[in-house]
Amino acid sequence: MIDNISWLAIYPEIVLLIMACVIAVVDLGVSSSRRTGTYVLTMLTLAVVAAMQAMYASSGNTFYGWNNMVVSDTMGNWLKCFATVSLMVTLVYGRPYAADRDMLRGGELFTLTMLALLGVCVLISANNFLVIYLGLELLTLSSYALVALRRDHTTATEAAMKYFVLGAMASGFLLYGLSMVYGATGSLDIGQVFKAINGGQIRHQVLVFGVVFIVAGLAFKFGAVPFHMWIPDVYQGAPTVVTLIIGSAPKFAAFGMAMRLLVDGLLPLAIDWQQMLAVLAIGSLLVGNIAGVLQTNLKRMLAYSTISHMGFLFLGLLSGVVNGTVDANAAEAAYSSAMFYIVTYVLTVLPAFGLILLLARDGFESEEISDLAGLNQRSPLYAGVMAVCMFSLAGIPPLVGFYAKLSVLQALVASGHGLHVALAVFAVIMSLIGAFYYLRVVKVMYFDAPLTAGAVLAPFDARVVLTLNGALVLILGLVPGGLMALCADAIVRALAT
Amino acid sequence: MSQTLSASTLLAVPLAPLAGSLLAGLFGTAFGGNWIGRRASHSLTILGVLAAFLISASTLYSVAVDGARFNQTIYTWMVVGGLKMEVGFLIDSLTAMMMCVVTFVSLMVHIYTIGYMEEDDGYNRFFSYISLFTFSMLMLVMSNNMLQLFFGWEAVGLVSYLLIGFWFNKPSAIFANMKAFLVNRVGDFGFILGIGLIAAYTGTFNYGEVFAKKQELGALLFPGTDWLLITVACICLFIGAMGKSAQFPLHTWLPDSMEGPTPISALIHAATMVTAGIFLVARMSPLFEMSDAALNFVLVIGAITALFMGFLGIIQNDIKRVIAYSTLSQLGYMTVALGVSAYSVAVFHLMTHAFFKALLFLGAGSVIIGMHHNQDIRWMGGLRKYMPITWITSLLGSLALIGTPLFSGFYSKENIIEAARFSQLPGAGFAHFAVLAGVFVTAFYSFRMYFLVFHGKERYDQNPDTHEDTQEEPDPHHHHGDHSKPHESPWVVTVPLVLLAIPSVVIGFMYIQPMLFGDFFKDVIFVDAVKHPAMAQLAQAFHGPVAMAVHGLQTVPFWLAVAGVAASYYMYIVNPALPAAIKRAFQPIYTLLENKYYMDWINEKIIAAGTRCLGVVLWKAGDQGVIDGAIVNGSWKLVARISAVVRRVQSGFLYHYALFMILGVFALMTYFVWLNK
Amino acid sequence: MGLLSLAIWTPIIFGVLLLTFGCDRHARAVRWLALIGALIGLVATIPLISGFDTGTAAMQFVEKMPWVARFNMHYHLGVDGISMWFVPLTAFITVIVVIASWESITERVYQYMAAFLILSGLMIGVFSALDGMLFYVFFEATLIPMYLIIGMWGGPNKIYAAFKFFLYTLLGSLLTLIAFIYLYNQAGGSFDIAAWHRMPLGGTAQTLVFFALFAAFAVKVPMWPVHTWLPDVHVEAPTGGSAVLAAIMLKLGAYGFLRFSLPIAPDAAHEWAWLMITLSLVAVIYVGLVAIVQKDMKKLVAYSSVAHMGFVTLGFFIFNDLGVSGGLAQMIAHGFVSGAMFLCIGVLYDRVHSRQIADYGGVVNTMPKFAAFALLFSMANCGLPATAGFVGEWMVIIASVRFNFWIGLGAAVAVILGASYSLWMYKRVYLGPVTNDNVRAMTDINAREFLVLGVLAIAVLYMGIYPKPFTDVMDVSVAELLKHVAQSKLN
Repeated sequence: MIDNISWLAIYPEIVLLIMACVIAVVDLGVSSSRRTGTYVLTMLTLAVVAAMQAMYASSGNTFYGWNNMVVSDTMGNWLKCFATVSLMVTLVYGRPYAADRDMLRGGELFTLTMLALLGVCVLISANNFLVIYLGLELLTLSSYALVALRRDHTTATEAAMKYFVLGAMASGFLLYGLSMVYGATGSLDIGQVFKAINGGQIRHQVLVFGVVFIVAGLAFKFGAVPFHMWIPDVYQGAPTVVTLIIGSAPKFAAFGMAMRLLVDGLLPLAIDWQQMLAVLAIGSLLVGNIAGVLQTNLKRMLAYSTISHMGFLFLGLLSGVVNGTVDANAAEAAYSSAMFYIVTYVLTVLPAFGLILLLARDGFESEEISDLAGLNQRSPLYAGVMAVCMFSLAGIPPLVGFYAKLSVLQALVASGHGLHVALAVFAVIMSLIGAFYYLRVVKVMYFDAPLTAGAVLAPFDARVVLTLNGALVLILGLVPGGLMALCADAIVRALAT
Repeated sequence: MSQTLSASTLLAVPLAPLAGSLLAGLFGTAFGGNWIGRRASHSLTILGVLAAFLISASTLYSVAVDGARFNQTIYTWMVVGGLKMEVGFLIDSLTAMMMCVVTFVSLMVHIYTIGYMEEDDGYNRFFSYISLFTFSMLMLVMSNNMLQLFFGWEAVGLVSYLLIGFWFNKPSAIFANMKAFLVNRVGDFGFILGIGLIAAYTGTFNYGEVFAKKQELGALLFPGTDWLLITVACICLFIGAMGKSAQFPLHTWLPDSMEGPTPISALIHAATMVTAGIFLVARMSPLFEMSDAALNFVLVIGAITALFMGFLGIIQNDIKRVIAYSTLSQLGYMTVALGVSAYSVAVFHLMTHAFFKALLFLGAGSVIIGMHHNQDIRWMGGLRKYMPITWITSLLGSLALIGTPLFSGFYSKENIIEAARFSQLPGAGFAHFAVLAGVFVTAFYSFRMYFLVFHGKERYDQNPDTHEDTQEEPDPHHHHGDHSKPHESPWVVTVPLVLLAIPSVVIGFMYIQPMLFGDFFKDVIFVDAVKHPAMAQLAQAFHGPVAMAVHGLQTVPFWLAVAGVAASYYMYIVNPALPAAIKRAFQPIYTLLENKYYMDWINEKIIAAGTRCLGVVLWKAGDQGVIDGAIVNGSWKLVARISAVVRRVQSGFLYHYALFMILGVFALMTYFVWLNK
Repeated sequence: MGLLSLAIWTPIIFGVLLLTFGCDRHARAVRWLALIGALIGLVATIPLISGFDTGTAAMQFVEKMPWVARFNMHYHLGVDGISMWFVPLTAFITVIVVIASWESITERVYQYMAAFLILSGLMIGVFSALDGMLFYVFFEATLIPMYLIIGMWGGPNKIYAAFKFFLYTLLGSLLTLIAFIYLYNQAGGSFDIAAWHRMPLGGTAQTLVFFALFAAFAVKVPMWPVHTWLPDVHVEAPTGGSAVLAAIMLKLGAYGFLRFSLPIAPDAAHEWAWLMITLSLVAVIYVGLVAIVQKDMKKLVAYSSVAHMGFVTLGFFIFNDLGVSGGLAQMIAHGFVSGAMFLCIGVLYDRVHSRQIADYGGVVNTMPKFAAFALLFSMANCGLPATAGFVGEWMVIIASVRFNFWIGLGAAVAVILGASYSLWMYKRVYLGPVTNDNVRAMTDINAREFLVLGVLAIAVLYMGIYPKPFTDVMDVSVAELLKHVAQSKLN
């Protein structure tokens, strides 16, 4: 039974879909290599969508549509909003880069980006296994295409190929897991699944069997060890703008998916999936931090940093349920810390890649760490922004990255579980090792002599956005209260239903 | 003059020289840009010291005559948890006497310096230093608590450091001053522990309050042992005294300190600073009286110093070093006196010694001027007729030193020897022998020097290494060529000699009655007459100074002295070839003395070198090897190594990646589905 | 805006302002602006001294407003007798450093000055924070400017030094972070330090917390054996950096012991006092010996700093008021003296561009004024009475003799070692005939350097001659602290 509510629930997605098609058509008419028209239109659309999602989110209502296929709640809408905004920022940073490399022709960049965003949104608002899979495929397929956007570019195509094959495997895992659970519970509706499992009639082993595959699929999306292998290659191989596209918004999707599947659906199995996450977290922290130490390629280094941060994020997710009993406060602390973590992570990683995009010139990818040498002499502002990001990723106060780590650790320690405390200690020691490679970037920018003199040229809009973006990392570091409250509120509402 | 003591006047005593010092130091030197000239500097400083001397004299008068006393706090340095640390003055007969000695000798030295440093570029700096020293020494003696005592103690050490190294371009000088400071620091190490112990168990630094608590202090045992706490404390304090007063084995710095200009050798390293240790023990007599062990320790150390340092004086050829060793041995005498609880005798000898030893040093200085800065007595001789005043005053000084009856030295030294005889401490026998033998030695080296310098044939033009001697002082004008004749020094030099000669002769005769057997030191120096009767027995034996002098003519020490003089006369005037023969005959002993019993060798080659070696080991092996090399950098190397491995896993081959994913799932499954039931 | 906020934010705001210059075209203006900022910061701290009530152990000049509601963090400032002096000290040293770097820093001046001003604000924040997390944020944030200072204006091996400094100290403080979070949960969700002091804590918990805190503070102090970062950092850091590091940064750790370790885990503190005392004595003796044989002046002073900080920790862990106040006095004194020592080395370095003792000799001949100052500071460094260096050393030695003679004996060895390394260096660098043309070509200190050293000299002498104002401030607070530490939290 399709009512107005159903439509209301998916307005932003509809707008996205329509505009994506419109833009694809409109672009035929645009001939300039910079695709200004298309760009402006896209940005407008995204702005409108973001505004709508923000509106939904701040209204605080939760409602289901399409026979509970989709849900529109505060958490979801905020995640979608952030995803949209991050893609807008990405496009701002990426346009000159793409234009220099003739990637705008045909406007696929914009269309595919919007479709990917659509996938993200669907994924986040899914309340049904099928919808989840639908969103996931939409997202991943457009991502594959984006990575391969420079079809003449060997590393890019190779990366795309790897991404595609492994991604397919991962979706296979997920699908298999979902079907196992469906088979066991007899429902695709997440709410129903929850009830069914809570009933306790179903054979635990079957469920865990499914959970293993679901977690594997999730882990791939997050890029957690041992499902992380694609990350360094794809991050490095893809055109930087695309790297940023798949490195930012989809993280929200992954988080949303995790919340929908693991928390909304499989919470009764928390004991099991929490342990799985713990294993994955340990692996990710180890690999992400240690392997990053020797990287010379900035994009690759950031790829490993992603892996390690996802490990940290898992620490947040896995501390929600303490020895079997679901405690509202613990859960709220855990999941809101995880949400805060993902938001701040994306916020911090955007300017980092943004800077790579701005430093790159025609025929020169500025992706080696050494390319940043002496940036401070060339352009103190950019160096400052990058330094802020690096210190934030390293989790040094007073930058927002610190509070992300703090809230996760707090959630861990608060659970009072000895193992959790041990995990916390392990995590901080790993992040100490990680700090080394962030510091190295700062060292290159500030301590080394510049190879090329002359300031960095960048379009006005990109410059402004980059500055604001960097400033935000610092300001949120001084007063993180608001964002924390937002996440907490979102999670509380999500758990309430 | 004022009959009652007021804080403000007393404050003027140390502050006047300080003011002079600061003016001369800040504005008279390159530091402040040479605003004021030489004349101004020396007038200012001399004025300061003169003022200090006059007030001290009046103070002594009112203390001695009207029995005035003063003991109060000037200001509170700090109060922590009820433990008060203050700066204050305690004025009693001991302090007043010390004040007078210090300021008088200092005044003489100031005047003398005008002549002695005449041609030195550091003229103003020198005046600033010696005035600063006078201030520090006064703070030391006037203190009424151990904190300020320690302050003065270190301050005089600092000035001594500055003055020994006054000619900072002389490698030997800057080595000597560092050595002096460090050896003194070894003493301070004990000293501060002693103060700490006393403060810890009495909860105060103030002399009066400490002495008031001495009974319960004496009852305590040292934690974890069966020693008396007071013994440990006193020995610690005495270690401090050993440093300052150059007692064996911490004596090695004093001979080297002769690298400094002669006036300060007189002021600091003979008359005043080196006697601070004696003063300290006398001050602390109530505490030392309670521990025979400590006293015995003091006694033995003193005896060793008195005798063996005397021997070294015999073979020295540097005029100043001869006197330096005689100073060491005389300090040993004082320490012996302390050890046998004859504190007042020690202090008495301190006073007489201050005068005649300052006299001898300044005389030596005058000779050095006359000899154009040649200090080697082998190349002097026959100066009597060129430098009459210097000659006569030096003779008087030497007579006083060897204890000729009626001379000041006689009264003090004779009593020390007697006291050592009367004492019943285990070490007393050895001490008595040491001081007796010391008399002969003292007489011998004193007159050896005297004869070599003032009598015999003139050898001043045969000096083979005058050029090296002129190195002694970097100042070029001092080098007048080798053959110009010696000449008497200017009046600014000779007047102090005369002024010092007078007390050197008469002061013992005048004051032995009140100071040793009168009640001058009553309620200042405390002697437990029951346990340590030496002092009392001296008093019985004493029938006035004249009688003592007469009786002195029939005592062993007198004849020993005479023998010493005779021997030196024979060997250096009658038969100058003899010493060389003896030297050949007793080569091993001679070598031992030459090397000062190898004390310096031990210090430099074993202690100092060992310390440095240990430092290097700890640094290279401990810090750089283990901590940094193995642990800190090691852990990073480890991380890097692991990182390299992990990277290799990231092969770039698609099938590897796929394999890993499958393995991952499989692993998870095996664990969670099958193992983890 | 309260006084403390003023003291914290004035330099930071000026620092940010300087950053906006973005280039060295206006170096002159930058220097003056930096000086003004530093001076305003210093002036802002004067009311702290004048208005401080020495009669109470309570926190004074308190400011409190909510900061992060979710974790119940507060922007909560205040000082008591333990922390008060370090606020003006920090501001003072900042002024000194700004003046001292006037000519020696010529490139990226705006960033240099900004770094120091911001650093100063952050360090004041550490001393005045009453909220655990606020403390931690300030404590950690200081790493960033210091890292940049070492790396950007440091010597040849600056990279190694900068990383060593950052990672060494970060390792410690990360463990502390966990401890803080644990305490937050134990205190029922509060970062209020006072609450942490009050709350009961089990034996094992105390031990764990104690060592977690120890990790951060011991590295910062630095205590043996986690001291090895300091010499490397000092050698490479620019003069100003070394001065601030030695004068203030090391105190952050020592202060942490008093503010956190002792009152929060008193039983553990007592239980492990023997370890702390041993480490302190090792620092005093072992490191003292190492200092003697150094060939590099900065390394020598760095090691002597470790030895002096050993006195501080020794004083703290013998738990009597003389010892604790002595430790604090030593911290203040060391702030003046070590700062001065490093500035002196800077003066030499500016002229000869070498820190090797062997490259000098007979400096007094060419730089008499400077040699006079250097002598004063060297003497202060070996604890000569009437200089600041004596006060703390004396108090701690006396206190430890009172506590246990043999510990006192160990501590007193410093009397000899301190003199040895200070005077031997002085002899080799300043005294003797001129050894080489570099020295012969040296010119005596100019008015600016004279001013800097003169001010420090006055401070050193004042504190040595009349330390009462300093100790009076501490007395009550220290007594209160000890009273608190004396009562067990186990029950």
